[in-house]
Parts: sequence; structure tokens; C-alpha cells
Amino acid sequence: MARYVLAKLGQAIFVVWGAYTVTFVLLYVLPYDAVDLLFDPNQGDLVTEQDKQNARVYYGLDHNLVGQYLHRLFDAAHGDFGASTRTGEQVWPLILSVLPQTALLAGFALVLAVFIAFAVALTAGYTRTRWLADLVATLPAAGVSVPVFLVGLAVLQVFSFQLGWFPPTGNDGFAALVLPAVTLAIPVSAPIGQLLIKNFDAGLRAGYVTVSLAKGATRLWVLVRDVLKNAGLPALTIAGVTFGNLLAGAVIVETIFSRSGLGRLTETAVRTQDVPLVQAVVVFAAIVFVTVNFLVDLVYPLLDPRLRTRVRTRTSV
Amino acid sequence: MPSRFSKATLLVVAALVAGVLTGCSASGNRVAPGDDTGPPVSGGTLRFAVLDAPANLDPHSGSSYPESLITSNITDKLTYQNPATGDIEPWLAKSWDINPGLTEFTFHLRDDVTFSDGTRFTADSVKENFDLLGLGNKQLGIVPVTAYWVGYVGTDVLDPTTVKVTFNRANAGFLQALSLYFSGILGHSTLQLPKEQRSLAQNLVTTGPFTVAEHIYQQKTVLKKRPGYNWAPASRKHNGEAYLDTVEISVIPEAGVRTGALRAGKVDAILDVNNTDEAPLTREGYRIVPQLIPGRDIALDLKTDLFPTNDHAVREAVKLGWNREALAKTVLTPSYKVSSSVLSSRVPGYVDFSKDLQQDQQQAERILDAAGWKKAADGIRVDKDGRRLELALLGINNLVNNKPAYELIQQDLRKIGIDLKLNVLPIPDYTAASTQQQRWNIQVANQSRADVAVLEQVYSPQFTNMSKLAQGDPIYQQAIDTLSAVSKTLDKDQRAKAAEAAQRFLLDEQVLTVPVYNPAQVTAASPKVHNVGYEAQSRNVFYDTWIESR
Repeated sequence: MARYVLAKLGQAIFVVWGAYTVTFVLLYVLPYDAVDLLFDPNQGDLVTEQDKQNARVYYGLDHNLVGQYLHRLFDAAHGDFGASTRTGEQVWPLILSVLPQTALLAGFALVLAVFIAFAVALTAGYTRTRWLADLVATLPAAGVSVPVFLVGLAVLQVFSFQLGWFPPTGNDGFAALVLPAVTLAIPVSAPIGQLLIKNFDAGLRAGYVTVSLAKGATRLWVLVRDVLKNAGLPALTIAGVTFGNLLAGAVIVETIFSRSGLGRLTETAVRTQDVPLVQAVVVFAAIVFVTVNFLVDLVYPLLDPRLRTRVRTRTSV
Repeated sequence: MPSRFSKATLLVVAALVAGVLTGCSASGNRVAPGDDTGPPVSGGTLRFAVLDAPANLDPHSGSSYPESLITSNITDKLTYQNPATGDIEPWLAKSWDINPGLTEFTFHLRDDVTFSDGTRFTADSVKENFDLLGLGNKQLGIVPVTAYWVGYVGTDVLDPTTVKVTFNRANAGFLQALSLYFSGILGHSTLQLPKEQRSLAQNLVTTGPFTVAEHIYQQKTVLKKRPGYNWAPASRKHNGEAYLDTVEISVIPEAGVRTGALRAGKVDAILDVNNTDEAPLTREGYRIVPQLIPGRDIALDLKTDLFPTNDHAVREAVKLGWNREALAKTVLTPSYKVSSSVLSSRVPGYVDFSKDLQQDQQQAERILDAAGWKKAADGIRVDKDGRRLELALLGINNLVNNKPAYELIQQDLRKIGIDLKLNVLPIPDYTAASTQQQRWNIQVANQSRADVAVLEQVYSPQFTNMSKLAQGDPIYQQAIDTLSAVSKTLDKDQRAKAAEAAQRFLLDEQVLTVPVYNPAQVTAASPKVHNVGYEAQSRNVFYDTWIESR
């Protein structure tokens, strides 16, 4: 087991290092001179070569690339990703300061998404009316195909501007969280719902269900007691995918609802080519991603007995 | 109840009748910035929403619109440009003397001004600021604000309230450059800091009517009025402290949400109003307050170092080949203006060239035919070597009208056999792409500066050299002479003459640029908000703004 954990941990660190290195190459080597991006385009030729050279020295861009890479990697390993070229703030604290907002939004949206997914899947599985079951089963597909910004603008229009139930913008309090979370939950719930519907469908046709039904159990009882337990587990597999959806969705949702957060910070950093900030965000996302997957890898053998034996046999070889 | 109902019915009927009488006019009443009635009241908070998040709050380098909007409200300058007349008036400098060669500027300063940290504003403050602006500082990572300070030699402190600034060349635009948002005076403690720390809100020490009380990146910036402020320019609507207690500037990136927030009463005023929202908001009773951005209009700058824009005939055809009326009707709103010169109509020295800037496609085709450009099978012209008449355009998509305007021009030019290839990019990509030499035939941008010196700054081969005139080119020296003439005199008549010659050179003689439209800042405000104003370069200033108590 210890070797299994260490191997997974090694993989995780490798992924984070890889993310750092790839972004370094993309941002510092290709495709433009990083110094040019520091100046107003309209100043054009007015910025002298000497000014550019001064800026290059000031930002440490005058060393050779390998030297820059090692130097920055060393600093980054100690949590120092430098200062944002736009705001002048240290990027790592900047990321940490907006993190709680996104975590809250993503967490709440995930809870809602799971709730929606189960509600849809249970309805689809429970109802015996064929057309209704089919209709409900298409909801997840609809959920992913409607653009998030459209959903966001629609709920804003109705629940904020027309009815005035929720504030349209900002980060303050629970009321401001509801609409963004609902908007974000819809696309996130889709893959979970889809998986559940498939598994319910397969589960309801399984032999043990027929036995239960023959014994006189109601459809709902079977669904909740037997099928749900077996169908719920694989949903964990898509935790990683879900996480990606949450982060990608947060970029759009935070922009529409004018919330500060990691998504919006990322969008602005990319748009303004704030090189240190982009790099720190990528590394941060990689860390979160590998952490989630690492935890899933650890939890899985605990839940699934078959995996447990496989881990044991592999480590004992 | 019944009486209220009938009253409502009456109102509806009245509204319908009025609507029919005015021919169901959709335009409504545009509220001009000057017609606010009622005595101003002090106090209150103005909630103001903008599109883009201010990031760099350093007044000397923060160049995006929301950044310069904030720094315009917290800093004062030595001179003040009157937004209505374009005249340069005293501010922190009470008066000035200039030598005949326009190389030495001696300023007599106010002695009653203090910074927000309590320190006094003196001649030393001016020297400290100007040396950084004009020369930069390598250790602190500060690059000089080159465009406005070319030829800066230094500043001498003559006595605590007198300074002398020296240049090695005539600089008639200097007084106006001092009034720009880039020239805000900062306190000693701010100027000591390296570049990154200078842009942090808590480090800003200034003399202006507001100070930054709170700044959360991408969320909000809170300005607080400075107690005891008493050195506003004389031509402002009042003196003393600002009326508003606080201004809360929040960032709402989505245009629809910004308008929605205004309608729902969540904010009192918004900037960056969508074109399509202007008319409905006016009808609903909101004030739409536009101000044209003075300086160089959005203009197609043609490069002379690259085929085929090195051909005068091609440049001429680009000027004649497209329809300005269609642009005004289909793309712009009444807040904007189709260009009638390369200079905005608000810049002193502007001359109306609209009769030369007209569509004449037949004339354009004749010119191209005469220059040897023949139409090929696909309708695009080729020269005798078979090279296509294809122009690569690089533009910025930071203003809502840009892309639609260029697309309209593209369609019109296609009709006369010119294939315009559009590359309209976000600011950072534009910045990066504009460093690629020999790739773009046309670059499009505007420059906000309400002084004719902007033409020299952009087009002279001694400065940005936007048209990429080569040293061997016969018009190289002519361009330098014609454009530098505007910097050699402050005499009104002589300067106006030089300004006209410069515009004629750029637009008619050499056709180095084809102006498109004059961009504007558009603010929409609730009727409770009064005196929505702008400084000369069209940044919102809240000094005279007041709000009816809610």
C-alpha cells in the first residue's frame, strides 16, 4: 500500500512540474518577446532599445532561458511566483485571496448539481410512462448543450432584474451566491445525471432486481435500496471531469455575475497576458487537479474490494 | 382605487397621444451634460459601474480607461485643460513664463497645496515627478513616459515655489502634456517605490479631491472625498471639497448586466454603454452623457514600407472607396461622429476635411486603373506582375464599434477590387502583433490627446513614424518639417496654420492615413445623478458630480 501511495504521489508531482514547464515554454519562449508586452502599443518606436533593455534587466529576462527557468522554478518551489505585471501584487497571495470565493461557488454548485442529477435520474428511473422517462433522460444532454452564459443571463433577467429576488452582481452573502451557483450547477450536473440514468437503467434490468420485485418490493424501494447503491459508486470516477467543468464554468459564471474569483482572475490574466499570474494559475489548477485525483485513487480501493486485492497483489510482487 | 386607476389610464392615453404626435419618435430627449438644474447637494455615494477592471493604479503608467479614470480623480496636475474650450489654464501652477524658443518653461506654483499624507507640495515635488516622467529610473524599473517628454533635459528648483523645466528642442505641446492624466503629481513616499509597489492603492499619495479608500482587484474601488481640498482649477463648476462623500466603482464585465444593474437601481451610473442600449435607456428617462475622445480619431494608418500600400494610388483608393453615411447609420449612434479629419473636432487646430473624405468609387477605380491595377476574375485587382491588391489590417477590438466599422469598409473596398484582410485582436495580442514589422499594411488605433502635437507624436519619422517613412523617401524630410512646425510655436494663428498644413499633408497630399470615426465615452446615469462630467481627455471626473438623496 505504501508503494502504491508513493507511486501515485510521484505521478502527482510529475504532473505539476510538467504543467509548470510547459507554461514556461509557452509563455517565455514563444511566440513574442515578453518585454514588448510591457509597453503601450501606441508608444511603438518611442520606447528606446535602452528602455527595453532596462526593463529586461529589471524583470530578470536578460539571463539565458535555462538560467531563467531554473531560477524561476526554484522560486516557484518555494511558493514565490513573482508579482503580477499588471497590478504589481504578488501573484500567489492574489490567487489565495480569491480562492475562497470560487471554492464556495464551486462547492455549492456541486451540491446542487448532485441533487439535480439524482432528482433527474430517479425520476427517469422511477416513472413508467415511457415518453416521460425519455423526456427526462434527455435533460442532461440539454444541460450541456445550452451555453452557460445564456443560462446566466436568463436567470439574471428573470430573478434579479424582473423579480428582484437576488442581487445581480457581487460577492456579498448567500443571496448573491444562489443564481451563480444554479447557473454553474446545470452543466456540471449533466454528466453525473447521464451516468446515473445509464446505471439505473442497467441496474433495474439486473437479476437481483427481478428477485426483489418478485418478492413484492415496490419500484421505488428497489431503486433506492439496491440500484442506487451500486449506481452511485461509479459517479466518483467522474469527480475529476466534474472538477474540470466546475473550474471552466466558473470562468464564465464569475464574469457574468461580476464575482471576483479564480475563474475571472484567470480570464483577465490570459486576456492581458499577465505572464506570472497565468503561470501561477496553471500550476495552481494542476495542484488541485492532481490532489483530487490522488484522493480518488486512495479512496477507491477502500470502497471497491476487487481493487483492494489488486493493489495488494501488485505491491506484494 | 378607482381614482388611481383612472389616473393611470389617463397617463397611458396621454403617453399614446404624445407618441403619435411626435411620430413615435424613438430618439427621445438627449440630456446634455450642461442642463442639470437645481442647487447641488453635498453628501452621498455614487455607485458607478465600468466594464474593465482597473489593475495598475500608478498614475504615471496606468493607461487603460478605468485606470486613468481613477487616477484622474485622485491626482492634480500643474496645468488644466478646459474640456469645453481646449484652453490650458492654471492649476497647481499659478502661472508660467516660456522662453521664445519654447525650450524653457518656468512655473510659479501654488503654496497652499498639501498631499494626502499631510506633506507639502513644493518645487521639489515637481522636480521629483518630472525627472521620473522624463528620464525614468532603472533601479526602480520605471520607463520614461516617452511620447510626451522627448528632449527633456531636466528641472531646476529656483525657489520653493518656482521651477524651470528645460528641453533640448521646441516643445509647444508641453503645457498640454502636463494636463494629461499621465502627468498627475505624486507624493515623495510614492515616488521612492519600485514600479510594482507604486501601483498598489495603499501606497498612493496624491493631492487630488479624492483618495483611494479601498481597492479590491476585479471587484471594486472606493474613492473617498479629501477633506480640506481647496485648489480646483478656476473654471470648474465650484471650488472646495467634492460634493460626493464616496464613489464606489464596481466592475461589471457583461454589457447586458451593466445596463440591467442600472435599470434595477443597483448602480447609479454606468460607463461603456452598449450602442443598442442608448436609445431605450434615453426613452426610460436615463441621462445619456457622451463626450467625444479628443486627439487622433480611429484611423487607418497606411504603411509606406510595404507593398501595395507603398503605392499612392492604393492609399487614395482606400480613402475614396467606402461610405461614411452608411457607417453613421448602421454602426454608430449619435454619441459618435464620422471623422472629418485625422484630428478630433474637439482639438484646437482641427480643420474640417469632410469634403475630401467622401465616397467616390468611380474616381477610386479610375485612379487604380491609371496606376496599372486591373481587375482579375475574382473581382480583386492585380498589378502587371500578377500580385493581388490585398491589404492586411491590424486593429484592436477594445471598442464595440471597431469590428463592425472595419467590416463595412471591407465590403465597400471589395467592390472596387481591394481585398482587405481583417485582424482585429484584443489589446495584448494587438500589442504583440504590432511589433511584427513588414507584416501589416494598415494599423488602426486612436490616440487620446487634445493637442495638435498628437500628429507629430504619431506620424513624424522622428517619433512613432506610424507610416514607416524610410530615410531615402523624398517625403521623409517633408514629413518631419511639416509635422514639427506644430511644436515650434504657441502663437494661436501660426499654430492653426501649421495644424492645417499637417492635416492636409497626412490626408490629401500623401494620404498616409484615412480616418474612420471619432470614438466617444458614453455614460448612462439615473436622473438623480447630476453634473456627470469628463476631463479634457474624456475620463470621468466626479469632482462636480452630485446626487439627489435617495
